Amino acid sequence: MSETVKKRITDIGPPHYEKFLPPVIKANYGKWKYHEILQPGVMVHVSETNAKLFTVRAASPRLLSIDKIRKFADIADKFSDGFLRFTSRNNVEFLMTDETKIPPLIEDLRSIGHPVGGIGPAISNIVHTQGWVHCHSAATDASGVVKAIMDELIDDFTSMSLPGKLRIAFACCLNMCGAVHCSDIALLGVHRKLPEINHDMLPKTCEIPTLSASCPTAAIRPVTIDGKQTVEVLEEKCMFCANCFTVCPSMKLNNSEFDGLSIWVGGKVSNARTEPRFSKLAIPYLPNNPPRWPEAVEAVKNIVDVWKKNARNFERMGEWIDRIGWPKFFKLTDIPFQKEHIDDFKHAGLTYKTSTHLTQS
Amino acid sequence: MSEEVKTPKLDDLEKGPWPSFVSEIKTAAKTNKMAKDLLGQLEQSYEDKIGHWKHGGIVGVLGYGGGVIGRYSDLPDKFPNVSHFHTVRVNQPAGWYYTSDILRKLCDIWERHGSGLTNMHGSTGDMVLLGTTTDQLESTFQELTAIGFDLGGSGSAVRTPSCCCGQSRCEWACYDTMKLTYDITQHYQDELHRPAFPYKWKFKMSGCPNDCVASIARADISIIGTWRDDIQLVQDEVRNYSKAGLDINRDVVNNCPGKCMDWDGNNLAIENEYCVKCMHCINAMPKALSPGKDRGAAILIGSKAPIMQGAQLSSVLIPFVKLDDEESYKDLYEVFDAIIDLWCEEGKSRERIGEFIRRVGLANFVEAIGLEPTPEMVGAPRDNPYIFYQIEK
Amino acid sequence: MAESVKVEEVADAMFRIIKEGQGLKKYKATDLQKEMIEKFGADRCNKDLCKKAIRILIESERCVYTYFGGSFIEIPHREAAAND
Repeated sequence: MSETVKKRITDIGPPHYEKFLPPVIKANYGKWKYHEILQPGVMVHVSETNAKLFTVRAASPRLLSIDKIRKFADIADKFSDGFLRFTSRNNVEFLMTDETKIPPLIEDLRSIGHPVGGIGPAISNIVHTQGWVHCHSAATDASGVVKAIMDELIDDFTSMSLPGKLRIAFACCLNMCGAVHCSDIALLGVHRKLPEINHDMLPKTCEIPTLSASCPTAAIRPVTIDGKQTVEVLEEKCMFCANCFTVCPSMKLNNSEFDGLSIWVGGKVSNARTEPRFSKLAIPYLPNNPPRWPEAVEAVKNIVDVWKKNARNFERMGEWIDRIGWPKFFKLTDIPFQKEHIDDFKHAGLTYKTSTHLTQS
Repeated sequence: MSEEVKTPKLDDLEKGPWPSFVSEIKTAAKTNKMAKDLLGQLEQSYEDKIGHWKHGGIVGVLGYGGGVIGRYSDLPDKFPNVSHFHTVRVNQPAGWYYTSDILRKLCDIWERHGSGLTNMHGSTGDMVLLGTTTDQLESTFQELTAIGFDLGGSGSAVRTPSCCCGQSRCEWACYDTMKLTYDITQHYQDELHRPAFPYKWKFKMSGCPNDCVASIARADISIIGTWRDDIQLVQDEVRNYSKAGLDINRDVVNNCPGKCMDWDGNNLAIENEYCVKCMHCINAMPKALSPGKDRGAAILIGSKAPIMQGAQLSSVLIPFVKLDDEESYKDLYEVFDAIIDLWCEEGKSRERIGEFIRRVGLANFVEAIGLEPTPEMVGAPRDNPYIFYQIEK
Repeated sequence: MAESVKVEEVADAMFRIIKEGQGLKKYKATDLQKEMIEKFGADRCNKDLCKKAIRILIESERCVYTYFGGSFIEIPHREAAAND
């Protein structure tokens, strides 16, 4: 034991990326001239030296077993000299110089269940959070809903027939690991019931001043119940953000009956054409209906279909809505507009309509 | 594993064309009892429509305050092998590049010490090793460092920086995102492993304004590549796009936010002075157009998810910096350190830098860190006349 | 500048307030730093010294980092969520 303690290494940071770059990248680093999309999921980058790098992008569920990672490693050995990378949207990419190996690589990936696509005017992978697989604060599962939606939208992953890029993201609670709030379509897990306070455990597990301070609307007040220091929640002020649960496990928000998810549309992070912006509320609540969440899948499919039918070339979801206006969005998608759609938190007034630019039809 | 777990609900998610996470868990469950109980507990969640995890907050490796996320099952009697099921965040190589050889070594470690399940990758960018027991943490850590990997960040600390693939593959990258990300990660090792901040702090590096790592939406410091000179233009290639069917007026010129382009059917003219570097024309015609040669980055600050005062996008702090060498990195770190010092001094607990700036005011913040206010920092000057005039004595 | 405090002395002083605050107040690294600079004076104690003192407490396992919505430095204890 003492020997292992002596050898203990810390603070080394990640390995240097150069160790993992294919020779064609090392030789052409910073010299790339242009790229072309050759077919769905396949692109070529051409350098000033005319060197070519072919990339084949395949779908991934993000949650991978070591068996699958070893299979990817075997495929990389067979087709791309052992070099591969993962993308910011959790796809896997094989990096190669021999164009003739592309068709058999795609075939091998298909044979282990990983379709190729996600480049250009297509849907890329849905970035998502842990959900019930591994998170304590999840209001819904993530992987299951994502799988169900991607099964439905698979053709938009393996082809390039959308008006523009489609970025869908999924977060299983308001903590929003990942940037779901700036996506063409964001699915967000929501709670709708007051925290269930465990008055026996609370004094032992939580600091009351920290707990009170955690509430964005000051809905949490210290009280004494049966001689115990604990807290109460002012019902009319709670908007179910679960920030209190994050600092105190005795404030349980998870609820099997009333939790579910909401759908937000029209956000983007890219600066292309229009500025980055947040997604806006389209559907305030849909129930948790495992294993396939048919209501959520149907809602996403409907929004995508209407956008596909009506948007112009290059128009992202939000840009299309900018052009047609929100009243038309709700009309075309047949989504009912209700009280929850009107903001009532800070800066709510900024979202009111202050002009007569109305299509009136 | 002798007895098989019955998972009728999850089984349904093995059908369909998209790769199935359930199949991944089942594969691991063939040889790993943690994965098997994870499968059982997840089926239970699908039955109950609720998660069954408790959040831990104390487990980790000696000396570090982050990199391990504690998890405990709330059904430990039914699923004893996930009673303790902690996540290990491993700092990914910049750009998420791997070789088959290094992936196999990582898999071998995780086969010996954990569930055999991973996320490639977590939202912040780390490789996530999904689930192990407290007694396996130290040995996992030591085996990782032995092959050159270290843990990522968690808690009130610098979180694992991440970036797009930048100049390694992309002709649009206006600076070397991977090099800067590696350098930042090394520079802030202590702040990454030993939480000493009011709350989390994220650096995200994108090579161009397309922002493939969503830095403007989720990073406290967003470093987004851009350029100052003229867009590089090859007229013949523009004509080729036109011949191939691209409607250049409708799809390119009319989409230009700077309204600085003109296409007469034969020549594309760009009034570069009014170009806002949005990337659209370059995205639409990558063989014909590319960013200029005088490249660098804009530094933006303050984006975050809703918790707690509402979501924010990053806003401009420094409109343009050159990032050509390590000297330029050092100048950046001086600015970051001044910001971090101020925030550590004046920030409230759980207050991200973006919320701190909203509380104290951008003008006051900029003054406190020694920058001059510039018109690039705002979408527009104020429209309200309630001005806190400060007459200099 | 006056002679600075010994790092062990800062570590001991930190340990005392952490122990006294147990169950009442949880300290973040920045809280401890502010307390120490107030106690010993800015001419004898600074941020770097406090950082070293925290490292001594953590690496000797007298204290541990904990996390609940934010990171704290506490006396090692069995956590409430842990199963037997």
